[in-house]
Amino acid sequence: MLDRRIFREIDWTTILLMVLISVIGIIFVHSAIYYQASQYVWKQVLWLAVSLAVLSVLLMIDYKVLLSFAFPFYILMNVILAGLLIFGRRIANTRSWLVFGPFQFQPSELTKLAVILLLARLFSSYKEEQMSFRAFLLSSGLVGLPFILIALQPDLGTALTFIPVLLGAYILAGLPKKYVILILIVSLLAGLVGWNYGLKDYQKKRIETLLVPGQDPRGAGYQLQQSKIALGSGGLTGKGYHKGTQSQLRFLPARQNDFILAVVGEDLGFLGILMVFGLFFIFLYRLFMATQVSPDRAGVYIAFLAAMLIGCQFLINIMMIVGLFPITGIPIPFLSYGGSSLLSNFLIVGLVINVKMRRFAYVRF
Amino acid sequence: MAKIYEDLSLLIKRSKLTFIILSVILFLVLAFYWKIQIWDHQKYWKMAEANHLRSLPIPAPRGLIYDRQKIILADNQPSFKVSWLKEAIKADQPVIEPVSQLLNLGPEELKSRIERYRWLQPFEPVVIKDNLKLEEVAVIEARKEEFPELQLQVEPRRFYSFGSTAAHVLGYLQEVSPEELKSNSNRKWRGGEMIGKSAVEKQYDDYLTGQAGQLIETVDSQGRSLGEVNRIEPIKGQDLILSIDLDLQKRAEELLQGKEGAVVVLDPKTGECLAWVSSPSYDPNRFITRFSPEEWLSIISDPAKPLENRVIRGLYSPGSIFKIVTALTSLETGIISDRTTFFCSGSLNLYGQDFACWFKPGHGSLNLPEAIKNSCNVYFYQLGRRLTVDTIARYARTLGLGKATGVDIPGEKDGLVPSTDWKRKAQGEAWFPGETISVSIGQGPVLVTPLQVAALTACVANRGIKIRPRVTRVDGQKTPEQERTGLDSDLFEKIIEGLWRSVNEGGTGHGAYQPGFEICGKTGSTQVISREKAEKMIERGEVPAKTHSWFSGFAPRNDPRIVVTVLVEFGGMGGQTAAPLAGEIFKVYREKYVRQANLQGN
Repeated sequence: MLDRRIFREIDWTTILLMVLISVIGIIFVHSAIYYQASQYVWKQVLWLAVSLAVLSVLLMIDYKVLLSFAFPFYILMNVILAGLLIFGRRIANTRSWLVFGPFQFQPSELTKLAVILLLARLFSSYKEEQMSFRAFLLSSGLVGLPFILIALQPDLGTALTFIPVLLGAYILAGLPKKYVILILIVSLLAGLVGWNYGLKDYQKKRIETLLVPGQDPRGAGYQLQQSKIALGSGGLTGKGYHKGTQSQLRFLPARQNDFILAVVGEDLGFLGILMVFGLFFIFLYRLFMATQVSPDRAGVYIAFLAAMLIGCQFLINIMMIVGLFPITGIPIPFLSYGGSSLLSNFLIVGLVINVKMRRFAYVRF
Repeated sequence: MAKIYEDLSLLIKRSKLTFIILSVILFLVLAFYWKIQIWDHQKYWKMAEANHLRSLPIPAPRGLIYDRQKIILADNQPSFKVSWLKEAIKADQPVIEPVSQLLNLGPEELKSRIERYRWLQPFEPVVIKDNLKLEEVAVIEARKEEFPELQLQVEPRRFYSFGSTAAHVLGYLQEVSPEELKSNSNRKWRGGEMIGKSAVEKQYDDYLTGQAGQLIETVDSQGRSLGEVNRIEPIKGQDLILSIDLDLQKRAEELLQGKEGAVVVLDPKTGECLAWVSSPSYDPNRFITRFSPEEWLSIISDPAKPLENRVIRGLYSPGSIFKIVTALTSLETGIISDRTTFFCSGSLNLYGQDFACWFKPGHGSLNLPEAIKNSCNVYFYQLGRRLTVDTIARYARTLGLGKATGVDIPGEKDGLVPSTDWKRKAQGEAWFPGETISVSIGQGPVLVTPLQVAALTACVANRGIKIRPRVTRVDGQKTPEQERTGLDSDLFEKIIEGLWRSVNEGGTGHGAYQPGFEICGKTGSTQVISREKAEKMIERGEVPAKTHSWFSGFAPRNDPRIVVTVLVEFGGMGGQTAAPLAGEIFKVYREKYVRQANLQGN
């Protein structure tokens, strides 16, 4: 039964931070594509409202109840992903979308939630100081399945966001050195094979561009070059809202998604970047520190994996748009345009809030 | 007391450590942003100034339109246009004057052309002059360094190979209007694009329109192009094959030359139209340009209305052609058989009013086939007095009158089949029985389009199966759209007997007679002015040619392959003008299709 006391423990600051970053995102989506903005902006506002509504429902349900459904939920999401590959309609050349009337939804986003719950469930009773080989294989396999299904859509960007989650599980469960070496060898091999067979030409170009920037400013390096010019020309204070983006980033594909921070940086300059970094720093701090107030092992895993997911996506994106990481199509959580990822990010952080608010309810005398 | 909390300190330690590592990375990245945005600001600022991008649409060629023999009717030709790039311009005023001199346009005219698309996105070019002459192209090209705001582009321009031939089937293109642009939510069109505005060009616009490409180029701060960044090639639209036969079409147009009227030739089995003439015609090439107000105005203000598609938009009284409907109604309702005879004395007094036959001496006693052959009015007055107008209206609708045929050319009119309800609603009056008498011979308020008459004729030729006329080829796999009227095919045989006699045994349709070709048809003459007025004109020695002249028929009798419908406005009696004209078309068709088939058969 719901204990009313737990609602006093809701982490309003974290919710406020999520909403704040989302609103900043919507404002800059408008700047990025102002001439066709209305439909994008209103859709995103609607998604924000939906996300808040679903979040409040999620908070009512004890995360321990959610954990007990982790496995069926995980199976369901994988069935949907496999079904999409077989029956899905191609939209923008990928089979990532479920279509409900005017709304499209990416099941791959919700799969992140399923994977976090499943890993937390799996390790909730795992009390060893270091990870066993069996646990290592099991967790890798369970993350690997949706990873492959999503990579086949093909949506490598979303698939890659599962890696930090798996990495988080390794870190928390304590990975022995020998496995670290094993991972390095496997990923090296996978890299070699992938380079020769798996990666598309444009993806290779992007990695080459990263290694030798500026060698091909009109081809693959062009997006990177444009986003650096946009940021650099923004200077300390920027060109002003709506003033910059149109001249520099107009032809950047997905500027409302992956390059939204370049838009912020051009419009508001380094101060704008500082604001976004600052907000995310506080936000991530609160997520990571949630592990300290978690009542049980599963809660620690939930908080830590969620923090890894959000944190690494943010880090990869901010590195990507200045050429410190290949352009892989990973958006910034909450800030970039995209309804499904907004909803799933709200739910993932919602899990952490859920854990935090029930830290005392555990104790009964 | 047992331990309430698990010992999670190891996990918390690992979590803290991870956060510290991520924070360090975050601060290093922030330092990198500092370098780009503050340290290298000057460098990037200059790059931003020097390196602008511009996207220009590359127009896609429209699909070609062919006739059924694969002769190109609508082609594309390269043509030059010059566009105004708003983006390249800091202020309009100083450049208006030199540009207007370069293009030989008045400054006011130039301004209005730019203003029309002021609301477009700043990077979308606005076409200010098209269809340029080669000298103009040379001048602009030579001075392009001075005029970075002008952009010269080749675009495929529609060219109708045979000028005015089949203009009413093909339709024409015009520049998309600002209203259409604002209402098109899916951004299908760009400003200045030419889109189909009538007939096939409009109906199949989506099909014919390709997908525009895109050219992204870098430009300097003056707007001069520095080179291509990216290019997406345009995709040509799909080609369309019409059912029109160019030879038949040309011949039919020649026959109607100098007259106002319409000709439809169609295949009664498939509904495919082989010829579609609305006279007078116009040459669509003359105004396939964005700026030709004079030519456009002269065409739309022409009193002969060359733009009007008479085949589907001309509403005419059907005259005696309607007798087919009256006869079928009478046979179906059983008030007569084909052997019922009536006596024609030249006129009939009904409801205290004299109704005249067109043949004043009278036809004497005749049965239904003879009455159709001679187009005897009195016979049909006798049918009219035994029917109600609502019964006639019901069968007229069953046979396809009173509503659009559904041909694949937009703008078709419904025509009018009068009924008591209609009159009450339209005029607020009750129907007079005397009006039914007029309707029975196709006078009164009945209105049809030439295409409806052709479709009616095809239905008779098919012995009761209606088809939907079309101007494109029927896909070989698909069966043409057909609909049964539910009337017995025997009834049609009885009518066809009369239609055959009309052409082949010296009836009113005799003018259409072609030896060796079993043509069945019906003439019609509709009084545009009243009989009294016509008689007065004769007294004054003038020629009262003020009747529209109809002929509609099919051939051969037992295996109909072609329907020909001819309407000549003010052509006089149907037998004199329309029937010989139709006969000529039957002859051309027979020479081309039937003889050839026979030769091959032998």
